[in-house]
Amino acid sequence: MIVPLDLIIFAVLILTAVLAINVKDLLAAVALLAAYSLFASLLFAGVNAVDVSLVEAALGAGLTGVLFIGAILATSRHSMARRNLRRRYTMLPLIGAFLALMVYASIDLPDRGDPEAPAHLGVSQTYLRDSLDDTQTPNVVTSLLADYRSQDTLGETLVIVTAALAATLVLIRRRDDEYQGHAPSRELPLPDGDEVVADPYADDVRSADRRRRPR
Amino acid sequence: MTGAYPSVVVRVVCALLSPFILMFGLYVVAHGHYGPGGGFAGGVFLAVAAILPRLTLAEELSYRLVPVSMGPLMGGIGMLLFLAAGTVPMLFGGAFLDYAAVEVAAIEAARMRYLGILVVEVGVGLAVFGAMVTIFDVLMGRSER
Repeated sequence: MIVPLDLIIFAVLILTAVLAINVKDLLAAVALLAAYSLFASLLFAGVNAVDVSLVEAALGAGLTGVLFIGAILATSRHSMARRNLRRRYTMLPLIGAFLALMVYASIDLPDRGDPEAPAHLGVSQTYLRDSLDDTQTPNVVTSLLADYRSQDTLGETLVIVTAALAATLVLIRRRDDEYQGHAPSRELPLPDGDEVVADPYADDVRSADRRRRPR
Repeated sequence: MTGAYPSVVVRVVCALLSPFILMFGLYVVAHGHYGPGGGFAGGVFLAVAAILPRLTLAEELSYRLVPVSMGPLMGGIGMLLFLAAGTVPMLFGGAFLDYAAVEVAAIEAARMRYLGILVVEVGVGLAVFGAMVTIFDVLMGRSER
């Protein structure tokens, strides 16, 4: 951990986050979020959390951006300007109060790497000491995730698979809705579900919506 | 919305990159015992290697490389692999996910846990790969009906 480098990365993190919220072009916002994740992974690597850093770089900077781009291609590229300023001004003090509460709570936290910290006094010592003998695995993170705490990992994997199934249930277009007269009559029938009507790289991605417009 | 990207540079670079990303994903899954990563990060790399051709190459090519049915199939296989790693020790009288309970001649308990971790990592990798490819396909309107 190098303190000046960490401070610079923190500044860049806040900058990219604010820019990602304010920018009008959603593709630019996705690129900024990917940059945010990349700098966050640098921060994790700086404190020797290499596993977390790798996942953050692969998932945050890579795949999440791709899924966002997919969602943008399927909907619209431009964000809508929010006109309701009063709501924004009521939210600001709430956010400030929450921030103050978090900072106040973080004062009590033990220093990072403190050997007397509660997290370092329990079972974690046993894991660190016995992992190599128990499982022949030099990387303690892996033996923790896949052996000592494998039920947690099972739950996480189930969550991911469930998320994919839920996304399928929400987004799938059923054939009988489109082709056999069950669709609402105001919708244009699709010639073929696999055919892409809109030009994918036209300037306005919203042209993809045209095929669903009412007659 | 997917399909061949107009720029040759983008197409060639992505076509060249994706097998190497696939290779790195396999490495990360298999190397979780010794280095950073493991099933989750490796599965994400595998999914990226499958999605990159879908975004940039011609549809008939990219969907022949990794068909749409691959997503749900791999997700299910990975999940079942993980559950099998949990239930097989129970057949030997151990607890759920207690790999050391499996008794195979000439393999000591610690080595068994090492192999159990490998099975779990592969299962997680396949499940994550399948889930991510499924989400992308369904988002793009390409799905098995």
